[in-house]
Amino acid sequence: MKPADPIVLIVDDDQMVREGIRSLVRSIGLRALTFASATEFLSAKLPDVPRCLVLDVRMPGQSGLDLHRQLKEAQNEIPTVFITGHGDIPMTVRAMKQGAIEFLTKPVRGQDLLDAVQSALDRDRVLRREHSEFESIRKRFQSLTPRETEVLNLVVAGLLNKQIADQLGTSELTVKTHRAHVMEKTQADSLASLVRMAERLKRGSRN
Amino acid sequence: MAQSNFRYLTAALRYFFAIVLVVAALLLSVAFQKPFGNPSWFLFPAAILATTWLFGTGPGWFAVCISTLVVQYFLIPPFRTWILQPRDIPYFVTFVVCELVANRVIAWRIRTETALKEAHDQLERRVAERTADLDQANHALRNQMAEQLRTEEALQAARTELARVVRITTVGELATSIAHEVNQPLAAVVANADACVSWLTLQDPNVSEAQAAALRAVEGATRASEVIARIRSLITKGTPERLEVDINNVIEETITLTRGQMVRNDVSLSLALDARIPHVFGDRIQLQQVILNLIVNAIEAMASITGRERRLEIRSQFEPHSGIRVSVQDAGVGIAEELIPRLFDPFFTTRTQGIGMGLAISHSIVEAHGGRLWAESKVNQGTLFQLTLPIQEDFTHETC
Repeated sequence: MKPADPIVLIVDDDQMVREGIRSLVRSIGLRALTFASATEFLSAKLPDVPRCLVLDVRMPGQSGLDLHRQLKEAQNEIPTVFITGHGDIPMTVRAMKQGAIEFLTKPVRGQDLLDAVQSALDRDRVLRREHSEFESIRKRFQSLTPRETEVLNLVVAGLLNKQIADQLGTSELTVKTHRAHVMEKTQADSLASLVRMAERLKRGSRN
Repeated sequence: MAQSNFRYLTAALRYFFAIVLVVAALLLSVAFQKPFGNPSWFLFPAAILATTWLFGTGPGWFAVCISTLVVQYFLIPPFRTWILQPRDIPYFVTFVVCELVANRVIAWRIRTETALKEAHDQLERRVAERTADLDQANHALRNQMAEQLRTEEALQAARTELARVVRITTVGELATSIAHEVNQPLAAVVANADACVSWLTLQDPNVSEAQAAALRAVEGATRASEVIARIRSLITKGTPERLEVDINNVIEETITLTRGQMVRNDVSLSLALDARIPHVFGDRIQLQQVILNLIVNAIEAMASITGRERRLEIRSQFEPHSGIRVSVQDAGVGIAEELIPRLFDPFFTTRTQGIGMGLAISHSIVEAHGGRLWAESKVNQGTLFQLTLPIQEDFTHETC
């Protein structure tokens, strides 16, 4: 298997359920790692590949929901499929609000679980792509000089070259040069795309 | 006494025999007079003696009278006359005195004997009466005992049934937890069975993976059925048994029934079982009920605790002198000191939905096993329940 192959992370305190899900996941050619508790999961070093989490809600110690929230708060969101022995409505609502992919009740039908795992992996692929896009935008924007950044901010704010020159106390020609550099360095093919990228950076999150 | 029977002959016969004896004495005296010369009356006191002895006082007096007359008439000269010469008076008086003495001695003897006999009879009667009384008392006592035995049996049956009802109530309180306990292995069964099918439906089926998954499915199904069997044994009727019980095993099984409840209530379990403890004799289900009750109570006591770990410590120890000790320590709300003495009273409860029978039943179960169950508590720190069970089979055979 290639290292970039997606991996399914399974956290369940019941060893037999864990093994069952692992076997099921492996039977469709996915890699799987199992953990008996939230603590064990948190202390493990995870490979940087598309992944998703199959998480038991009710476990001794830290619950599945707590673990999920903790990951989200640490900006380390992993698309999660919750499984639970008895899912009551408030619990389901909480999980879905936290951004769960699916909330399945035990005993889980194999196909349902695999479908949920696939969509969670798809979600992670999207997340990862967005993340890497974000990172590349950030890198490109970081390569701007302070003057170029100033010009960029004013451009994005919707000012014309003349207005920018007035504000910065330079000539319109200088502004034009800076602006061309900005477009080149950020690889923006239009003003609209530059604005979109700037906005995305401003939001500061992965999406 | 044989001769005394004659005293109960009809009066006429007795008086007739008196005459016969006196006449016999006279004939013998006359007969003896020929060879020995002098007439002698010594046979008359003998006749009187015999008459009184054989036929009673009345014929005795009668013999005295006729003997006196006969002797005076036939044996005191001048013979065959009623004349009594002055020189014969001392002789005659002596004779009468002898007669009277003979008569009185025997009469006295008879009286004594009669009194003795009466006393004896009375004693016998009294003994018989007393024996009858005793028999009656004995009978009454036996009835009472039988009654008591029946009552005890009824009580026993009622207690057994009550214990079962309390068990069912406890199991009912644990329903969600138990459902989880059954559902969990079923989830394992489904996941592994699905995996098995999946491995087999591959283009290139992976039999060994399928087999491993199938085995896990079987294991899961077995586990589910074990949980169900355990619950069934807890709620079915049955008479208390006396068998070897492994307390550690009882504790472990009870924990599997309550694990779900612990997880839901965020209780962390610390288990320290002494592997050296020997088996005890007792009723496995009843002992399990005690442990179950203590664990459920401990979880309940910690349900409202925040700011400290909800830690449940279960420990078993072997103590060579007192036997086996099991302790269940919670970190719950605790019990006020003044309530502790009432803790094991029936219908005493601090819980809103409890019926207050759990600890009362547990207490009687432990006592019936010859052991002790007690509690120590500190408000806002937790409660420690401890029970001891003897190892030897020297407990009472009463059970509840």
